[in-house]
Amino acid sequence: MANQTEAGPRKRKAVDGELGVDAVTIMETNQLPAEEEDAIDSNPNNNSVGAGASGTHEVFPEEYEWSCFRDAEIMQQQAAIREEAIKVPYVRDKEPLSALAAEFELGSSILKEKIRLLGEQYTALRRTRGDGNCFYRSFMFAYLEHILETQDISEVERINGNVEQCKLTLQSLGYTEFTYEDFFSIFKEQLESVLQGKETSISTEELLSRSRDQFVSDYVVMFFRFVTSGEIRKRAEFFEPFITGLTNTSVEQFCKSSVEPMGEECDHVHIIALSDALGVAIRVVYLDRSSCDNGPVAVNHHDFIPAASADGSTEPFVTLLYRPGHYDILYRR
Amino acid sequence: MSTPSRKRLMRDFKRLQQDPPAGISGAPHDNNIMLWNAVIFGPDDTPWDGGTFKLSLQFSEDYPNKPPTVRFVSRMFHPNSKFVVCSILIVYADGSICLDILQNQWSPIYDVAAILTSIQSLLCDPNPNSPANAEAARMFSENKRDYNRRVRDIVEQSWTAD
Repeated sequence: MANQTEAGPRKRKAVDGELGVDAVTIMETNQLPAEEEDAIDSNPNNNSVGAGASGTHEVFPEEYEWSCFRDAEIMQQQAAIREEAIKVPYVRDKEPLSALAAEFELGSSILKEKIRLLGEQYTALRRTRGDGNCFYRSFMFAYLEHILETQDISEVERINGNVEQCKLTLQSLGYTEFTYEDFFSIFKEQLESVLQGKETSISTEELLSRSRDQFVSDYVVMFFRFVTSGEIRKRAEFFEPFITGLTNTSVEQFCKSSVEPMGEECDHVHIIALSDALGVAIRVVYLDRSSCDNGPVAVNHHDFIPAASADGSTEPFVTLLYRPGHYDILYRR
Repeated sequence: MSTPSRKRLMRDFKRLQQDPPAGISGAPHDNNIMLWNAVIFGPDDTPWDGGTFKLSLQFSEDYPNKPPTVRFVSRMFHPNSKFVVCSILIVYADGSICLDILQNQWSPIYDVAAILTSIQSLLCDPNPNSPANAEAARMFSENKRDYNRRVRDIVEQSWTAD
């Protein structure tokens, strides 16, 4: 009983966010005998429990019983990163490639050389917010901007066919239609509006402002997540070995925890699935410190060519710059 | 005013009416579609059998991109305690719930029926294979009898609580 009353106020502090102080007391509560486990007070005023803002890890007192000081520090750091991230728009303004050079001015010589080489083929970059959705967000803007600039109606017709196919895939997988249809229609609306000469047509500025609007932007990101998840589940046999190697979970669990929730980062597997499902080739240019022992430094890239268009002639028009943990958009010369 | 979240909630409601999962019911308040009441019946052949558990679901305009706040309304638990239903579902004294799909694993693929079914199915299967919480898993295997006794207390309380 004594433990109960003591534990109460102490645990409350964890909710108040005094992580540093509390980490110590948490280690103390770890010592409580197992049957005291459920006698520990949870703060009745703690509205955050269950409130569950998506993508945030709230401070749950009970998590501390299974964690240690280091976890608290990591959570604090993650919160700081999220706070930092929301200060920049989802999709930023186009910047000359020299902005990248300036960023790495004091960086490694390999990176500086690679940026110089990038400058031979690419003129500009457009950064996206590092919130775990950066791949999808970059892809969204790069693709729609390409359609807006080229007015490639046959490409729009082609992708519309694929989008319909993706809908059928989700249907056949047993997804409830009304849970995904809004996301599909918001994407199709954007696709429709980048084609010019209609009442609904939009300019590049408007595309940018929509891509920065939380509602439109997040709905399109979620559309891509649905498409990616549907493709992975449909071809579960093909993807299974990659997924098992990557996360040691089932295809089902992988889709539920690493594809469908917002803010879950995109890996090679996701890109293959999205590119295949929509039939859009994607080039990813890697800016990292890798280099060959002999020979000059070269910038690696990988082209994701959709399985359906294996004629080899597909030159990707969506080009993304990958730096470990993040994707931005690259513009060619 | 018809916003995307309200329109979506109407469809959630329609689905729940037309095709209600076994042992689950739910409906929005007459004058507020953002606030729902729901009831989960304890699954047969589990210690939860016979219990009727009332919940409330509070939605925001960010639904379905953000999850609702779900809590048990019936005062099921001893004050100043929390109940570890299983390694991924914890219910607090004030009824609030800690469940991955209602926090960082949320996705718009879940509708109201799916949320309630998930909670119900975790009552069925109090020990899902979740390596994340080995501690909780161990507690169940060691204290199975104690766990079942506590669940029966909760079930009996659910008959009298309002």
